[in-house]
Amino acid sequence: MNIALKDMRFSMLRFALTAVGIGLLLGATMGMIGLYRGIVHEALLIINDVGADLWVVEGGRSGPFAETSAVPSSLDRRVEGVPGVAATRRFIQYNQQYDINGKSVRLAVTGIDYPKDSGSWIPLIDGRLFRSTRYEAIADQTTGLLVGDVIRLGHDDYTVVGLTKGQVDMGGDGMFFVTIPDSQAINRVLPSEAILLNRVAKGRSRMGLGDGGALAAVMVELKPNADPQLVKAQIKAWGDVEVLTKEEERSMLLDGRLWRLRVQILAFTAMTLLVAGSIIALTIYMLTLEKINQIALLKLIGARDRVIIGLIVQQALWIAVLGFSVALLISFTIYPHFPRTVLLVSEDLAGIGGALLVISLGASWFAIRRAMKVRAQEVLA
Amino acid sequence: MTAQFWPSHVVMEVRNASKTYLSGANEVRALTDMTLALKSGELTGIVGPSGSGKTTFLMIAGLLEPPTNGTVHFRDQPIANAATRLNNLRDFRRTHVGFIFQKANLIPFLTAVENVQIALEINDVRPKQAKARARELLAQFGLDHRENNYPSQLSGGEQQRVSIARALANDPVMLLADEPTAALDGSRGRQVMEVFRTLADVHRVAVCVVTHDPRWSDIFDRIVEMSDGRVVEVRPGGAMKARLQV
Repeated sequence: MNIALKDMRFSMLRFALTAVGIGLLLGATMGMIGLYRGIVHEALLIINDVGADLWVVEGGRSGPFAETSAVPSSLDRRVEGVPGVAATRRFIQYNQQYDINGKSVRLAVTGIDYPKDSGSWIPLIDGRLFRSTRYEAIADQTTGLLVGDVIRLGHDDYTVVGLTKGQVDMGGDGMFFVTIPDSQAINRVLPSEAILLNRVAKGRSRMGLGDGGALAAVMVELKPNADPQLVKAQIKAWGDVEVLTKEEERSMLLDGRLWRLRVQILAFTAMTLLVAGSIIALTIYMLTLEKINQIALLKLIGARDRVIIGLIVQQALWIAVLGFSVALLISFTIYPHFPRTVLLVSEDLAGIGGALLVISLGASWFAIRRAMKVRAQEVLA
Repeated sequence: MTAQFWPSHVVMEVRNASKTYLSGANEVRALTDMTLALKSGELTGIVGPSGSGKTTFLMIAGLLEPPTNGTVHFRDQPIANAATRLNNLRDFRRTHVGFIFQKANLIPFLTAVENVQIALEINDVRPKQAKARARELLAQFGLDHRENNYPSQLSGGEQQRVSIARALANDPVMLLADEPTAALDGSRGRQVMEVFRTLADVHRVAVCVVTHDPRWSDIFDRIVEMSDGRVVEVRPGGAMKARLQV
């Protein structure tokens, strides 16, 4: 007879509520870790997926993601001539709020250098890639747009030809991919006040830029045997630009712009883990304390220690397994509907599962120690 | 009442046992140089006021507490003394001793039949046989219709009968009961005492009952009166007198 299961069946509601409670705690922990992973993933999305080895940005800046950057729109031609460079693509990204179908929507307008770049690195869930240099767009599904939708941005209408998923910038705004000329045209439409301010700023800009015709960066793909450091040094020697490798871009974002946010989320995650661990341990210990009389009785009728240890460990493991299942259920059903990406990585989930196992066995060990001290005559107490 | 005399032998004997507890800085002497033998087929009643050492004797005889001085013998062989780790005697307890208390002390999450079955399974009886035997025992105590009820669904008397069935599951040679009728009304209390009488008479179990209740003196073979941790009087009970008269 499995007395651990008998007890659980008898107090099914109580055990179920305990498992749900632990599941919610673990779910919150998974969510925190997932949120952290999501923020990092979103921040690095373009850097990781676009396939650029070097980023040529405004001189003295760490653009285009960690800082703003503006370079001349003809810079890509200059870069193309550098030995070791296989291909260049122009890059623009900026965030703006638009009224679409009566709703305010924030878009991360991202320029794609079509036809050099067809956007084949964008994962489509519907529609197609670019076939024209003008007035076509690929939108992330978080924008609420659908294939075939026509929206007016600036002075022009843009047709959504493709729909993608999970393409958001580090602020969580859904990406709206258009060609470079379109992105420049959309950005050029400003209120008169902004135009005046831009004219003033243009005079003060180190690059002499400031209007909508500038690029944010030029992405460089190197030839297979090219030395990135050598190419970087050659371009940097021009003096008016800064060159960052893919790794440096990542590092600028994670250790620079996102550093405080990352530390904060990790600190919250650690706290959530600590609270979850303490509550799980306490729950398992309390379950044993509640059964002191029954443990004494089992000892009185001659039960071996393994019967009592089995009762405690099995219940701890059942609660852990059920709690973990509830946490997974919550995570995979609720988190996909969150506004920001909650990225559940199997390694993280396995880590939480492992930590839960250790906590449960650790708590069982304390509970077993307490149970072993129970004397049979305590039945009479 | 049966008039037959059966040959009895000593099952468990507590010899010259003393028990001292520490209560804060004070030493409390619960038992002083007590010697008492429990015999097979004999129903012994231990009576006396609260604090007279009745339960302490039961604990020592049942190998739940070691004596501070003195020894415990099983079939004339020493089995426990002050130095004995009673945890090591759990196997012996399981196979030789049955306990019954004022409260039935049933496991609340097991049904009546499972409460008896667990005692058998702990003694390595296979689950199927254990269940069959548990059912048989419950039927003997008129509880066959209640076997799937949880303790909370049973009356006090029914719970106590389940606890007796559990105590008897492994055919103990000795049954120790501490105020088993205290929580029962008169008729249910008598039913329980008559079960003990039958166990002694038919199954030859050495039964020792600690009680405050003077109503059961007619059922005991022997009444041991205790006071201040000592035996002050041993007298024949009603059952013994009835036999002698026959």
